[in-house]
Amino acid sequence: MVHSPTCPHPRFLLVPASEPQFPHLQTPDPGDPVWNVRWALCTRRSSGAAAPGSGATIFALSSGQGRCGIAVIRTSGPSSGHALRILTAARDLPPARHASLRLLSDPCSGEPLDRALVLWFPGPRSFTGEDCVEFHVHGGPAVVSGVLQALGSVPGLRPAEAGEFTRRAFANGKLNLTEVEGLADLIHAETEAQRRQALRQLDGELGHLCRGWAETLTKALAHVEAYIDFGEDDNLEEGVLEQADIEVRALEVALGAHLRDARRGQRLRSGAHVVVTGPPNAGKSSLVNLLSRKPVSIVSPEPGTTRDVLETPVDLAGFPVLLSDTAGLREGVGPVEQEGVRRARERLEQADLILAMLDASDLASPSSCNFLATVVASVGARSPSDSSQRLLLVLNKSDLLSPEGPGPRPDLPPHLLLSCLTGEGLDGLLEALRKELAAVCGDPSTGSPLLTRARHQHHLQGCLDALSHYKPSKDLALAAEALRVARGHLTRLTGGGGTEEILDIIFRDFCVGK
Amino acid sequence: MFYLRGCGRWVAASFTKQQFPLVRLSSDSAAPRTPHFDVIVIGGGHAGTEAATAAARCGSRTLLLTHRVDTIGQMSCNPSFGGIGKGHLMREVDALDGLCSRICDQSGVHYKVLNRRKGPAVWGLRAQIDRKLYKQNMQKEILNTPLLTVQEGAVEDLILTEPEPEHTGKCRVSGVVLVDGSTVYAESVILTTGTFLRGMIVIGLEMHPAGRLGDQPSIGLAQTLEKLGFVVGRLKTGTPPRIAKDSINFSILNKQTPDNPSVPFSFTNETVWIKPEDQLPCYLTHTNPRVDEIVLKNLHLNSHVKETTRGPRYCPSIESKVLRFPNRLHQVWLEPEGMDSDLIYPQGLSMTLPAELQEKMITCIRGLEKAKVIQPGYGVQYDYLDPRQITPSLETHLVQRLFFAGQINGTTGYEEAAAQGVIAGINASLRVSRKPPFVVSRTEGYIGVLIDDLTTLGTSEPYRMFTSRVEFRLSLRPDNADIRLTLRGYKDAGCVSQQRYERACWMKSSLEEGISVLKSIEFSSSKWKNLIPEVSISTSRSLPVRALDVLKYEEVDMDSLAKAVPEPLKKYTKCRELAERLKIEATYESVLFHQLQEIKGVQQDEALQLPKDIDYLTIRDVSLSHEVREKLHFSRPQTIGAASRIPGVTPAAIINLLRFVKTTQQRQAAMNESPKTDQCLRNADRLQERQL
Repeated sequence: MVHSPTCPHPRFLLVPASEPQFPHLQTPDPGDPVWNVRWALCTRRSSGAAAPGSGATIFALSSGQGRCGIAVIRTSGPSSGHALRILTAARDLPPARHASLRLLSDPCSGEPLDRALVLWFPGPRSFTGEDCVEFHVHGGPAVVSGVLQALGSVPGLRPAEAGEFTRRAFANGKLNLTEVEGLADLIHAETEAQRRQALRQLDGELGHLCRGWAETLTKALAHVEAYIDFGEDDNLEEGVLEQADIEVRALEVALGAHLRDARRGQRLRSGAHVVVTGPPNAGKSSLVNLLSRKPVSIVSPEPGTTRDVLETPVDLAGFPVLLSDTAGLREGVGPVEQEGVRRARERLEQADLILAMLDASDLASPSSCNFLATVVASVGARSPSDSSQRLLLVLNKSDLLSPEGPGPRPDLPPHLLLSCLTGEGLDGLLEALRKELAAVCGDPSTGSPLLTRARHQHHLQGCLDALSHYKPSKDLALAAEALRVARGHLTRLTGGGGTEEILDIIFRDFCVGK
Repeated sequence: MFYLRGCGRWVAASFTKQQFPLVRLSSDSAAPRTPHFDVIVIGGGHAGTEAATAAARCGSRTLLLTHRVDTIGQMSCNPSFGGIGKGHLMREVDALDGLCSRICDQSGVHYKVLNRRKGPAVWGLRAQIDRKLYKQNMQKEILNTPLLTVQEGAVEDLILTEPEPEHTGKCRVSGVVLVDGSTVYAESVILTTGTFLRGMIVIGLEMHPAGRLGDQPSIGLAQTLEKLGFVVGRLKTGTPPRIAKDSINFSILNKQTPDNPSVPFSFTNETVWIKPEDQLPCYLTHTNPRVDEIVLKNLHLNSHVKETTRGPRYCPSIESKVLRFPNRLHQVWLEPEGMDSDLIYPQGLSMTLPAELQEKMITCIRGLEKAKVIQPGYGVQYDYLDPRQITPSLETHLVQRLFFAGQINGTTGYEEAAAQGVIAGINASLRVSRKPPFVVSRTEGYIGVLIDDLTTLGTSEPYRMFTSRVEFRLSLRPDNADIRLTLRGYKDAGCVSQQRYERACWMKSSLEEGISVLKSIEFSSSKWKNLIPEVSISTSRSLPVRALDVLKYEEVDMDSLAKAVPEPLKKYTKCRELAERLKIEATYESVLFHQLQEIKGVQQDEALQLPKDIDYLTIRDVSLSHEVREKLHFSRPQTIGAASRIPGVTPAAIINLLRFVKTTQQRQAAMNESPKTDQCLRNADRLQERQL
């Protein structure tokens, strides 16, 4: 690992970590692939970005989504060269820093993936200072997805965490300070985008499954940990280990079945997620129909017509967009509409771009004021660096405003006027949308669903592999370690994963103590 | 042999039969009228004794101040040491040449390793200890420690002076004022006052101030600390009643016998002082519904249980067990208090009921039908100082050269206290000699996990060590604590004897050599099958199999391996410890390599030091949310690694901090071409050296 030289000032030492003194750890032995994918502090709190140079090789899609001829996939870390050789089925690496045309194929099936340009950047003369590889592949989702999954199956490789490439570059002294300036914002944005992307992916059945699995696994681990820490001093009930064993085996079966099934199960919802929201009867469905040029949603003068989330893929100004129509936000209505409102709010969390709609002729009503105060203000109040979520405020029904009458309220944030009825203001809206979408889609951090899917696949497989090492009849500390690794994989997808969570379960489920 | 001086009673070895060399005392025969020491340790409990001896081992002239010399080494609660996680701490204390492990090897009456079947990484060395012997042996050790002076006296106040400009902190401690008004000066002061800070004993509805039954609490000191601005919290703990041994019917109870052979705690001992057949048994009994009934009927008489002072999530007393897990039988271990003690300690029956009800409840229990309670159980409520106010070297942020160790930091347990004591003692001494602090990382030991958890997260319940808190559990094992800490303790702290250091060096090189030899021996799996027929070696792999892989099989040990391949393996079976440790290394080998990768990542973040004098609340050059600023301000993490473990500190905040450190660094470098202070040089040298 290359480090910036020791700083001359006493208080600000940036110095390499000392070598740990484990005699047995001096000769590397790759051993079982399952252990290759551990994360720094995965069993503990993980509020920090992943530690740089923690030995793992990371990969990510580093070009934006949208229509592009070429997608760029990058790796960084010691196994980069190995991954390149495996995917190109070659003995030797291509010459450094030269573009070479190579046939990429899946290392497991041997199936060809793409003919691509590959570039090999041996460290330290690379973006991150580590060994790096760039794959310039044809931009179709099938190819990108295939290459990402192939990389994920190479031992020692894992999908990058938010900002990890940049963090490694920083750690290796590859960024100057002006470049670092934007880094925190970038990491924040990436974290946010990944979170939204994960929310989308975890919305619905898959999310339900993942959270359930994580819960089962955390509980099983907590019980095994309890058995280790308290089994002989305190009286744990009989059968704690047996029960954990049954649950782990059941989890293994479920995960295995899911992974075999995953390829056809999951529909990719690519594109920028644009969500139309607002109080009831603002004309949200009319706008969706207008933008998609087809009657997606039922439109009626009755407030609360739209109850579920209606989703339609559209092409807006050349960008792939997934447009969602949602129920009008209001309280105190029947249970069906309440559920619609809940779903609308959930969808709002996941949006890249929010189209907030208000009735221009009804700005003083409580529902409009409430909407402005909660939804619009809360997104608007955040500085761009705080949230990568964007919002356009649209005032519909401009045709109802009298031409010479007073304009809309003066204290409104920047907004656009539109009439879905006459089409007036549509050009302005499309222009604004184009600008916003260019920003959303041009940014690779927006979280490609392809990458998210590769992440899922990688971590679920990692979890399954780790579970196969769970053998409670032998060394229980080793068995618990397998569960810790497995849980680390799942909590990468679902969040959480600290030690305190384990202790909470132990003290809740068992009477242990002095 | 009492030396009466201006400020209290100087005590030499007046209460043991042996004669002690007076060399130690002669060292302060030339002491000035106002006594001056390098290090003062206040408190003679498990943290205090370790702190005082560690400071003295490091070469500091040290004074141990205690209320009563005859309570030094007192085990005020359970008559046992060690256990799961706690045994790990003891091995680490021993690796730093601390006392408690060696004293336990001389004072135990029942040695047993817990978790024998669960893997060597989680073995829990444990022993029932003879209270009287422990105290005797500890006092003998303390009074024989060169450079260490012991004095009786209660500390009322701290003497504070101007801060040293090159360090943070609003003032500096330079000595203590005793209750009689006399003063003692020192370069560093360590507080190990346990539960004595505004300690309050509770039995039933009665409450009276005391640090421990029969001892005065420290009230003046608590006020001083509060005035200085320390954030004080309150915790509670408890202890069970003691029962007359001859009033118990052991014949109807389950008997637990000690291990044969006994496993010693200390790396320096091959065996313990007593043969297994001479050791005492423990007995097991259980509570029953009648116990529940007495607890539930008398809750109104039990102020300790009712009060809101934070107790732990785990069950500290029989009352909380009954309340939280009703209709269950709870385990009660009847533990001997010593070889010639008439008392039995009922572990699991910690309680604060009124004394007469305690006996009533106890006599409901099988085997205890005729039991006599000699001393009732009681609860203790006491002040602790939020440990986020101390650095990983256990020095306070507020007052320079003031160190805290033990229960004062919110921990519970002798071992947790001892572990902090060693670290505080070492660092108080290093501070005097202006050397860089000795910090154990959470990648290096349980001590590191304990202190990192306390200093970055704080605690709201008495903090107890569990192996589940340790992310690198497979690397930080009881067997290898010497390799992890003895070498560093010798080089960086100077607290380890030459002999122990040489022993650890020999062990380290023998292990390395043994492992590389085991890796170099490769045969086909069928040949291994012939060599060791009793083991079912998997033949699925066509690759040659290393001897190290064969050693991983449960049924194989170094002896059976050496029988199969006498040359060159025979020599590794001569030292029993070495043979056993090679087997353990083999067991975890494949996992440890990957754990090392992770450890490196964590260590990298820990090598990125944050300036100690950042004012997080006001700095403008770094964009941080208000919430993050407050968190950083309170905990004052010393490294990027520690900062990232504080809940609520986001990855983005970490990057901003990194950037800030780097900018400041460059600015300073530009301003000052060669500002290397000796501290920096030493720091860098040390790290470089360790890297080599």
